[in-house]
Amino acid sequence: MDTTVAQIVFYVFAAITVISAALVVLSRSLIYSAFSLLFTFFGVAGLYVFLGADFLAATQMVIYVGGILVLLLFGVMLTHKLYNLDLKTQTFQFVPGLLAAAAVFVTLLLVIGRTRWAGGQPRALNPTTAQIGELFMKDYILPFEVASVFLLVALIGAAMIVRKKSR
Amino acid sequence: MIGLTHYLVISAALFSLGILGVLTRKNAVNVLMGIELILNSANINLVAFSKFASADLQGQIFAIFIIVIAAAEVAVALAIVLSMYKLVKSVNLDEADTLKG
Amino acid sequence: MDPQLYQDLRAFMPELVITATFLLVVLIDISLGHLRKSLSFLAAGIGLIAALTAVIAQFGQPARTLFYGMIAVDDMGVFFRGFVIVASFLILLAAPASRELARAHLGEFYALLLGVTLGMMLLASSVDMIMLFLALEMVSLSSYIMVGYLSTDRLSNEASLKYILFGAVSTGAMLYGITLLFGMTGSTKMVLMRDALSRGAGGGENLLAMLVATALLLAGFGFKVAAVPFHFWCPDVYTGAPTPVTAFLSVAPKAAGFAALIRFFFTGMSDTSAGAGPWSAFTAVNWTLLVLLISVVTMIFGNVAALRQNNMKRLLAYSSISHAGYIMMGAVVLNAEGIQAVLVYLITYLFMNLGAFIIVIEMYNRTGSFDVRDYRGLYRRSPFLTIAMTVFLLSLMGIPPLAGFFGKLYVFAAAVDRGLAWYAAVGALNSVIAVYYYARVIKEMVIEEAAQDSGALPVSWANAALVWAMLVPTALLMLVWDSVQRLTLSSTTFFTGS
Repeated sequence: MDTTVAQIVFYVFAAITVISAALVVLSRSLIYSAFSLLFTFFGVAGLYVFLGADFLAATQMVIYVGGILVLLLFGVMLTHKLYNLDLKTQTFQFVPGLLAAAAVFVTLLLVIGRTRWAGGQPRALNPTTAQIGELFMKDYILPFEVASVFLLVALIGAAMIVRKKSR
Repeated sequence: MIGLTHYLVISAALFSLGILGVLTRKNAVNVLMGIELILNSANINLVAFSKFASADLQGQIFAIFIIVIAAAEVAVALAIVLSMYKLVKSVNLDEADTLKG
Repeated sequence: MDPQLYQDLRAFMPELVITATFLLVVLIDISLGHLRKSLSFLAAGIGLIAALTAVIAQFGQPARTLFYGMIAVDDMGVFFRGFVIVASFLILLAAPASRELARAHLGEFYALLLGVTLGMMLLASSVDMIMLFLALEMVSLSSYIMVGYLSTDRLSNEASLKYILFGAVSTGAMLYGITLLFGMTGSTKMVLMRDALSRGAGGGENLLAMLVATALLLAGFGFKVAAVPFHFWCPDVYTGAPTPVTAFLSVAPKAAGFAALIRFFFTGMSDTSAGAGPWSAFTAVNWTLLVLLISVVTMIFGNVAALRQNNMKRLLAYSSISHAGYIMMGAVVLNAEGIQAVLVYLITYLFMNLGAFIIVIEMYNRTGSFDVRDYRGLYRRSPFLTIAMTVFLLSLMGIPPLAGFFGKLYVFAAAVDRGLAWYAAVGALNSVIAVYYYARVIKEMVIEEAAQDSGALPVSWANAALVWAMLVPTALLMLVWDSVQRLTLSSTTFFTGS
């Protein structure tokens, strides 16, 4: 993990993540934003791999890119007139928002710089899937089951909101 | 030597960019993208802390649940956005103004 | 399977009943033909009553946690879970009788109502941050959908869009704060977080991080209970949503949010070093001061903004914002008396607020208007509604001997006993301001003359029954005050770790 190559790759992923996130927020075209988001998710998945979260990285790609991003793209496509290739977006007053976001960033940097986080040896890089599976069946079984009811509620709700009212 | 701080700075940047997106974007789908950035930044925090600050995989488990919640939230949000588009033919937030205030 | 799990499942019975009812309602809704409307209604009703009995049976049991420390079973949890079930049951009864929802298919509505009830029950019992966040999102998501239930109605749709975007940002920011706390304490269980904080994980150089984390967490909780400055969604959402949903939002998720706030700050952020007991605020970050400030601003803003409102739903929205401020007074006080005050206030608030909303629903059913000026001369058109509404409004003002007075009495007394007399004075002053806009409604109903062509206003028997159900407790709660007193006092015990 300390080899120069590894460090370079890390910085590449970090750059991919942050730069594409900036593009998501600053881009004038909605489609560019959506595709930049794809790269952001990809970069985050790479960071997860560096942090030893192999299962999470795979989950991130499958759900975020394969699910959420596709949904967002559909959302973009379906909410514009079909042949209107504009897809430009407008912004509210940009400067106050920028100032607020900058203030947030500076505050967070201060927090990160000063805080003494909880200690411990950084965990070794091990495959996590089996352990996560066990945790879901033991310590976290309640949130696991509740999450399935939660998804059912979301499913019913989303379908109900968009369906044609046939009655 | 890549340490905890590197990851935290990246997530702080993502969080701030997400806030910027939420505050400045007019298109509802764009705001959703900003929200996704915020959630991802929290996830990076969780996984980084899980590796460096806690003895177990709590952070990663939490992150998995966040991904699940985010997916459900986007689905419902897009359903509502689509519904608005059918009614108003636009998803600009400054056209959502029949409710005053 | 782990034998402990069997026992936990038995203690989890109320939530299991709600989940089973939820699935049953969904199944009924997609299968049976003409009968499904009434059958799903019946199923939901019976399920809620069964769950309520199961919850009440748990009262008095020793405080403990279930499912490896995810949720707690204790008297306070029993109170809040019973509370939200009752609130949901009342909305279940009110929904079919409202004109707004008449053309909508209600099967999914009942399912959503059960889903949000499950979420609220979990929210009120969570002692782990993962469970808390999941429950919070479950409540929020179901609420977003319920607000947007009339997806062909522009107001409803707009309200749900604003609600979900604002809500997602607030909960996202809150989540970031939770991750900071996780980083500092190394655990997501509230009890372990508190232990780590007491050992000094939050002091010294971590102060800024604690401040930021607390602020972000208050943003999330503040959003849920509609406290200033996180209230921006509230008036629009309350106005645009179908009124039964508004009535529901003003009471139930707010109460569950308060339960979670109390649990988090008292269990997760109190100081247990040197035997300080669960009531010592975590000294490094004075969160009680922050909550106090929020509470004061909320009371003042809510009351002042309500003064100018003509739309009944908007008026009641701002009124409920201000009431959240009063409820927070109990949380600030940081002892058993304060928590008891919160519980008492919530009971009175449930009846008087729901009562007022049901009358608004019925008025809309009959007149198609939410404007207070269309309530003119109601005294002649429907004396029953007028008198009932007057009682509810007087109670909201806090006039003795109605229920609302006791709620305010308890929170003010708790503040004074803690040496915060000025805080109670601010509250009392706000109540005086509030008199103006409540009294204005009464004046329109009683003194003003109705429009020329308006005749007598019949009231549907369903809504009349509901109004009576709310009226009796509001007016006569003082008669059973002893039991209320004892119930709320014993409900102040909650799980603090062992």
